[in-house]
Amino acid sequence: MRHTLGRACVGAAALIGSAPAADAHIVASRLGDFYAGALHPLTDLQDLILWIALGVLAGSLGAPKGRWLVLVFPLGLLAGLVLGLTSGGVSAGPVADAGMVVVLGLLLAANVRIPTAPLCATALGLALMRGAANSGDVGSETNRLLFAAGLASAGYAAITLAMAVTLAFRATDADPSIAWRGIAIRAFGSWIAAIGLMMGGFVLAP
Amino acid sequence: MLSRRLSLLNTLVAVLVLTQPALAHEQAGVAGGLSSGLLHPLTGIDHLIAMVAVGIWGAQLGAPAIWVLPITFPLVMAFGGVLGVLRVPLPMPEVAVALSALVLGAAVAIRLRVPFAAAAVVAGLFAIFHGHAHGTELPSAANPLAYGAGFVVATGLLHLRGIAIGTLSRWPAGARLIQGFGVAIAALGCYFLALSLEGAA
Repeated sequence: MRHTLGRACVGAAALIGSAPAADAHIVASRLGDFYAGALHPLTDLQDLILWIALGVLAGSLGAPKGRWLVLVFPLGLLAGLVLGLTSGGVSAGPVADAGMVVVLGLLLAANVRIPTAPLCATALGLALMRGAANSGDVGSETNRLLFAAGLASAGYAAITLAMAVTLAFRATDADPSIAWRGIAIRAFGSWIAAIGLMMGGFVLAP
Repeated sequence: MLSRRLSLLNTLVAVLVLTQPALAHEQAGVAGGLSSGLLHPLTGIDHLIAMVAVGIWGAQLGAPAIWVLPITFPLVMAFGGVLGVLRVPLPMPEVAVALSALVLGAAVAIRLRVPFAAAAVVAGLFAIFHGHAHGTELPSAANPLAYGAGFVVATGLLHLRGIAIGTLSRWPAGARLIQGFGVAIAALGCYFLALSLEGAA
């Protein structure tokens, strides 16, 4: 029985591991632009780093403060996208992105307990910047509504997941046996800030 | 028994037949930059041993060094990296990198106890030179952001590895073993220092 189960597991693992892409032609349907909007930021390292840093920062501040971002961030992305589309692809530029990465990283590393309003303002500013930046690849044939829905959904999912994982990881500060987790989050923040510094250097490099 | 072996053979054949190409050498764009950045601190032995030594020394010194160093070191190193990217010259960077392995290895070997501020200054100074070397050697073909992310993460993980090794100092035998590591790191530092001085001459 055990051998049969083992063989079945090995066979299943082999089939799953070797399975090629499904090519289910979802892009050919009308929902293609939704996935384009959702995947566009997730395939950009700047978006990924900034979004995860913001989510971890919000999670480290606790659920009462962080939960506001579940609403603020996706709406900010939508506003930024609209701003970018109406103003012809205006973008804050890579220096602003690098600066934002450094600020978020330093806030995490220094364990600054910022109030809810500045946190929401930071999230809104970041969302506006990245929403506008993502508007640059919206073509004339792109269904803008679907693209915007995909972008906002990706923002909602990324921020919520990053916050939830951080909250679960940090657990409670009252237990001294897991105090190292707070230090790990701060060390992660310093990595983020270091990456931001490098980004700034690359942008300013001759 | 025979049927079991045949069954295993069938499974292996199926795995081999169904396997997709690995594409293990994709070096373009983000993947290329990330892999270059991740591998850069690991392929330079002088960088690698110095980063591990910082972690071990921090663990030997205990709190607050054990948790302040992992937080501040990447930042200071990135500052050095920016100097390297911007082509700001530093005096004898290769000598300083080799010297860092020698000094940090010796500190681990003799279990050097210094005030935290002094340890932070020493580690920070060497971090600038290590970061500078990484920044200067940035591969032009790779994605720069991915390269930066890769090398920060790799360095941080090396540092954490050093801290993990340093926790062995709780046991007398572990403490001796770590001091042996320190001697080996210092000896390698001597070797790299001789090489760099020879190159500079």
